[in-house]
Amino acid sequence: MARHNLNTVIGFEFFRTVKKRRFWITTLAIPVALAIVFALIIISNQSTSTTAKAQKNAHLSFTYTDDSGLVTDTLAATYGGTKTTDGARAIAEVKTGTVDAYFVFPVDPVTQPVRVYGTDKGIFENGKYDAVAKQILIAAAQQKISSPQLTALAQGNVTIKSQTYRDGKVSGGLNAVIPPLLFLLIFYVSIILLGNQMLSSTLEEKENRVTEMILTTLNPTTLIIGKVISLFMVGLMQMLIFALPVIIGYLFFRSNLSLPDLDLSHLSLEPGPMIVGALLLLGGFILFTGTLVAVGAVMPTVKEAGPIFASLMVLIFVPFYVVSLIVSDPHALIVQIFTYFPYSAPVTAMLRNGFGSLTPLESATVIAELFILGFIALRLAVHLFRYGSIEYSKKLSIRNTLRRRNHA
Amino acid sequence: MVGEPLVRIRDFRMDFGNQTVIRDLSFDVHAGETFGFLGSNGSGKTTTLRALLGIYQPTAGTLHIDGKVFEPRDGARLGYLPEERGLYKKESVLDVMVYFGRLKGLSRQKAKDWSRTYLERVSLTDKATARLDKLSGGQQQKIQLGVTIMNDPELLILDEPTQGFDPVNRRLLMDIIEDQKRAGATVIMVTHQMEEVERLCDRVLLLKNGTAEAYGTIEDVQDRYGATIIRLQHSGLLPASDLYDITLAEHDYAELAPRAGTAEADILRELVRHGVAVRSFTTARTSLEEIFIRVYGEQNQPVGA
Repeated sequence: MARHNLNTVIGFEFFRTVKKRRFWITTLAIPVALAIVFALIIISNQSTSTTAKAQKNAHLSFTYTDDSGLVTDTLAATYGGTKTTDGARAIAEVKTGTVDAYFVFPVDPVTQPVRVYGTDKGIFENGKYDAVAKQILIAAAQQKISSPQLTALAQGNVTIKSQTYRDGKVSGGLNAVIPPLLFLLIFYVSIILLGNQMLSSTLEEKENRVTEMILTTLNPTTLIIGKVISLFMVGLMQMLIFALPVIIGYLFFRSNLSLPDLDLSHLSLEPGPMIVGALLLLGGFILFTGTLVAVGAVMPTVKEAGPIFASLMVLIFVPFYVVSLIVSDPHALIVQIFTYFPYSAPVTAMLRNGFGSLTPLESATVIAELFILGFIALRLAVHLFRYGSIEYSKKLSIRNTLRRRNHA
Repeated sequence: MVGEPLVRIRDFRMDFGNQTVIRDLSFDVHAGETFGFLGSNGSGKTTTLRALLGIYQPTAGTLHIDGKVFEPRDGARLGYLPEERGLYKKESVLDVMVYFGRLKGLSRQKAKDWSRTYLERVSLTDKATARLDKLSGGQQQKIQLGVTIMNDPELLILDEPTQGFDPVNRRLLMDIIEDQKRAGATVIMVTHQMEEVERLCDRVLLLKNGTAEAYGTIEDVQDRYGATIIRLQHSGLLPASDLYDITLAEHDYAELAPRAGTAEADILRELVRHGVAVRSFTTARTSLEEIFIRVYGEQNQPVGA
């Protein structure tokens, strides 16, 4: 019967959330906004690419002086340039529009600016002067090097594969840091997406005066666990919907969106940090869920629960203020405090786990702490709901409620 | 009709802080009977029901249903209509009814079929897919009652069931409760409508200041508080007597309250002996409403929740 009721609660809570129009409006707003942004980026990139290409290859009528000795007459001529020795006259010709531009290549173009004088052809068209001047210098440098390989190297077109070792074994480096940190991302997204719903999940029973009907039909533990599971399912669905445009964008429009080509095969999934990350995520989720549900059971309305909710949200962001210390000096006092203080522990420990500075003992301690406190918070939430939600519009006295014998 | 006690309350005391709301309350409700749990506002009726259902933890005493403390897992056998009404207002009528039906052990299809039949009976078929908060207060009450009696509960606890109903729907509701009673349900009913009590209840308990003021069949209570009233049409002066008290005396009409142990025939003989010309001599029991007013009218300070 308990299992039947749990399934019933999960089904009711899940479907009544996803059946609501408001849910879909808020859920789809983000992917739709992302899709619009991506579309704008693609259009913009295509336009920029076309413009850049056009500007790079633009044929201008210009004059130039070259103190560097890099630009040959032949090269300049291919871009429409004519050498001059009279700078003042060249500027005057630009002013009258006789020529489009006048470039002044200095003695050392690396340390000195190339001066460009041009007729104003509008904000976007004016960019071609810079593009052509730069392209002339690049072409001049390539001519001097006379080697495609050296030219590529000069442009930094190199691929480096690194291999590092820890304790005599190959370590994953940055590729090993990223996968465990994904748990941190999931933690943030789930708490931000679901926090408010966790808070209001039991408030609804109070505000709708349905508590007595529920308490005489259903074990409150079943109700709360059912609500938490359904919320998790809703959150998971939201995450997938949010991620969908990014996945589609990456798979099908990567070049148009100028997204980096991520080679996921290079990511190193080390079992230890991955297991610790997953447990930290689960423990942190249980702790925050239990706490938010307990707060909801105590407070008469969502509005009155707001300040406590805000405080909890602050605590999950606070570790980022000391992120440089977490990375560079994990044994600093403040990092240790954040590692063990329950509401900053999940984020701090997940960061340290990702960067490889969380020892096995510390991992075990934090995981145990999160799970134990999480189950205590859930137990407390059930107790407060059972004996507190009957207060309906009154703020609950926790002391009085805890005095009552727990039958939950 | 009266069987073993389904509900047994012994020495129940309930304190809220320093205030004692219920003290030493003991009573039984037998299987199959309809029990009226009466009292003025704040006399402790709802508190007692909540303690019986485990929502409140009693300060002392035992409150048993079917020989044990109620647990929510026994909820499938219980139908409880609380004083504080409410359902999931943003959900549709059918969704909410099916949800509670499922929690009471029905399959989805059975819960759906039962709900549709009930909605037809209470003339709300067209509201099946409407959101609860789009229904009137009376219509919501009907849905709440439907949820309460789903799966034909063995014990039905109704806290002011007719609150907010018009006379037509009150009659409908009474018919539904009677059906449940006929189907074998034990009913505990809290109400201020004394005509409902007289129509439906086998036994009653009058709660006053947290203690049982009266407990028994309606006749027992009437005997204790009002006994019999003699309505007299007469001519001639009514004599004072040890056999009765004159509770009302008008020109040719009077009401007499027989003193304990006095037979009505003795009173009639006494009147005739004193030369009173008796044109009409009828006896009647005091109504529960009159008893209620007499018991609670003198109560200035309500006690408890």
